[in-house]
Amino acid sequence: MRVLEPWLAEPLDELVRESNARLALIMTSSGQVIGQHGFTRSLDVMAAAALGSGILATTAELARVVGSDGEFGAVVHRGQRHGVWLAGFDTPRGRWVALVVFGRHSTTGLVRLFFERFANRVRDVAPTPTSTREVLAEGFERELDASLRALFGSN
Amino acid sequence: MSPERWERLLREVVQIGGVRGAAVVNADDGLVVHEAMMDELSAGDVAALASAVVLRSAAMLRALGEPVTRMVTLTATAGTVVAVPGQHDLWLVAVTAPAAELGRLRLLLGDLVPELA
Repeated sequence: MRVLEPWLAEPLDELVRESNARLALIMTSSGQVIGQHGFTRSLDVMAAAALGSGILATTAELARVVGSDGEFGAVVHRGQRHGVWLAGFDTPRGRWVALVVFGRHSTTGLVRLFFERFANRVRDVAPTPTSTREVLAEGFERELDASLRALFGSN
Repeated sequence: MSPERWERLLREVVQIGGVRGAAVVNADDGLVVHEAMMDELSAGDVAALASAVVLRSAAMLRALGEPVTRMVTLTATAGTVVAVPGQHDLWLVAVTAPAAELGRLRLLLGDLVPELA
């Protein structure tokens, strides 16, 4: 498990452990990865983050079209061997997205239950941002490298 | 099965003394099919956790050479959870208080199993 911010480790660990998740990805709604469990390649995690946030944005638009107030609570895909749970949740840092991949030893209901606990816990323990830093072009690549190192070790 | 039939079936279960609620749960996805919860119990939470337990119990029994699970009973100080399987991965789950009429509940759930088909 890798997290950009240490306070996220315990809630994410509980989510993964209790829901029997195989993979988990926590990201901002724009696709910036905050934490991950189970991914071994940065390419995979970046693809999953981009696709996950894209799917959620698409379903939010679909919710608008069908007259729903706000986005759908969660998007669930069930395959033969794996299921994917994708849901947004509010934090003091803004809206984040969780993507959880689970196998036959878990269920949609179990992931839903522990995702809700995870989202509540993150809301409780997330420190409120003290200032917003402007990301400058010259610092962007360095910050991106630092984030990827934190999420994938020295790769 | 029609929603009215689910409703009737669950009403019979929750009328037993000490039963806090009952739900028909799809064990495959851990979601509620129909519910009759009496107090602050969340049917969604009960369904998710009960399905995780009954699937493992059934798997353990299969490993022990018993292919068919008839009933799963979990007893704790705060109460009891009784689950009986129907067809198509559906389970009827009842949650009781400690002083519930467990014998009557087990008999009724056994009788209701054919109706879960």
